[in-house]
Amino acid sequence: MVFHVARKEILSTLRDRRAMVSSLLIPLLILPFMMLGLPLLLGGLFEREQTSITEIATIGLSYLPAELKTELETQNISFVEAQDLETLVKDGKYQVALDIPKSFSTQLEAGEKASLTLISKAGNLRSELNASKIQDAVSKFSEGIVTKKLESAGLSADVLEPITINNLDASSEAERSSGQLAWLIPFFIAVWTLAGGQVTALDATAGEKERGTLEALLVSPVRRIEVVLGKFLATLTFGLSASVMAILGYVLGGALLRSLFLKRLGDGAEEIVQVLGGSLQTTPLSILLLLMSALLLASLISALLISITMFARTYKEAQSYVAPLSFVMIIPAVGLQFSDFFGTNIFVYLVPILNALVLMDDIVKGQVAFLPVIATWASLIAFSALLLDFAFRSFKREGVIFRT
Amino acid sequence: MIEVTNLGKTFSDVTAISNLSFKVDAGEVYGLLGPNGAGKTTTLRILATLIEATTGKATVNGFDIKKDAEAVRKAIGVVNGGMGLYDRLTGKEVLYYFGKFYGMSKVAIDKRIKELDELLSLGETLNRRTTGFSTGMKQKIVIARAVLHDPPIIFFDEATSGLDIMARRAVMNFVKAYPSQNRAVIYSTHVMSEVEELCNRVGIIYKGKLIAENTVTELISQSGERNLENAFFKLVERSGMEVSA
Repeated sequence: MVFHVARKEILSTLRDRRAMVSSLLIPLLILPFMMLGLPLLLGGLFEREQTSITEIATIGLSYLPAELKTELETQNISFVEAQDLETLVKDGKYQVALDIPKSFSTQLEAGEKASLTLISKAGNLRSELNASKIQDAVSKFSEGIVTKKLESAGLSADVLEPITINNLDASSEAERSSGQLAWLIPFFIAVWTLAGGQVTALDATAGEKERGTLEALLVSPVRRIEVVLGKFLATLTFGLSASVMAILGYVLGGALLRSLFLKRLGDGAEEIVQVLGGSLQTTPLSILLLLMSALLLASLISALLISITMFARTYKEAQSYVAPLSFVMIIPAVGLQFSDFFGTNIFVYLVPILNALVLMDDIVKGQVAFLPVIATWASLIAFSALLLDFAFRSFKREGVIFRT
Repeated sequence: MIEVTNLGKTFSDVTAISNLSFKVDAGEVYGLLGPNGAGKTTTLRILATLIEATTGKATVNGFDIKKDAEAVRKAIGVVNGGMGLYDRLTGKEVLYYFGKFYGMSKVAIDKRIKELDELLSLGETLNRRTTGFSTGMKQKIVIARAVLHDPPIIFFDEATSGLDIMARRAVMNFVKAYPSQNRAVIYSTHVMSEVEELCNRVGIIYKGKLIAENTVTELISQSGERNLENAFFKLVERSGMEVSA
């Protein structure tokens, strides 16, 4: 009867178009969209800003040394003489402005320190991008002056940087290639199991009460434990499906990014792809461990959802119970970014949810050990069983079933 | 078929029913008549094994409600006014879902659906998803669901509330036709005319107590009134309880 109850709940969720979109389609598409759409869109905007000619408002253009002016022009900058530069930038008429004092050229010629005033809008991406073009040109021009001075004094440019540090990365190939996946995979499993599972859990518990179908179900000869397990199984199915979709979307996005758009993204693209997990390396064992851990984590979250939503009288009330759970999932998942500070204390692997997240992080990085796996799985199974037992006991209580 | 002895139920410090005793024989439609909050629903929920009695005992179709709860549930069907349906399933899917709980095969369910279609005119309700059903259409499937396994005993609890005149008539015709040598019905309602039309015997329940029990004719005669409604108030007064709205 467990599968019979689960089958009905699954069918019911499958026929809910809104639930399908939110728990299966969105997790599949949202990450490729963010990974491909955002870099391509931003990359395109940045490229256009770099290649198109930007007019900047200036005062004292005639005091600008010809060499610096040429350097700025190679950065696609053209100059417009204007007044009240700050207002012009503030009003958005120009992205940036440059105030060149009368003494600028003479100070440079005399070997003194000279200054320019660059006016831009902090927080405005276009303004900051154009300001950085000017800063690059000025830095290049400054370096030229320093190099000339050093050469005339018979010194090498190396005197400015007497020590060079050679960095050697000691991390394993699995760690390097995992990129941000190391914490994002556990994060997705936790967050999307909750998001995907709650649609079914809410409908199967509070929804059943709200519709008035629960009483009919309970006067039939089906055992209450079978009802609880059936609803749990259906919740687990959708919770796990949503998280698998999210991971598929992520891996797909990374792979597409690497294979289709690497060249288009230009310099540093390899690094971006790596950060986004596009070069994740997996072994059959790591996939197996990851799937088992994901299944057990999803079981715990599903059992938690069922045991909480069962108390609600209405769908809306159940939603208000579930909302704080998102934070319970997100906080440890985000904390995983700093997992290197946790150390290897075995007790971490006994704390439900956190243990699964840390373990999956280890698996993706290729650092998994036997004891943490056993401790995590045992803890997840024990807590899931406790929660299901609690749900079953609650489901027998008159106060829970007929709460009005 | 049903024997209730000194049944009582207390929720925290509220007594819902106390010392309730009555018997329902085969072939009878037994009416539980009383205002809202009298304890009718609590009584039926106890008999349906949904909640446990605080005191007393009861047997349904020969099975003790505490010791043989599963056997009791197999022997009963329940229809109440507030029962809903799964809105993403068709009427037929709802019946398949519940039929399996009673151990019925697909063939047996199909055969029974055919019989119920003739009896209740289920028609299009079988193949349409229940969302958007009128209250009457919903109640037809609710009744079909309750009697799918052909139970010897059915509990109707305010089963006509919210129904239009046609749907109400269909429910009442079904109740009239259901009892036989091996079947019995408990019909719980606050509507006097339904009790007068349907019930062989009536138990008047008020503030959790059974204050009178007899045939409709005898109850009217005992009270010295002309109709059941007046008889109801008279009998409540005689029981020494205050009549309150």
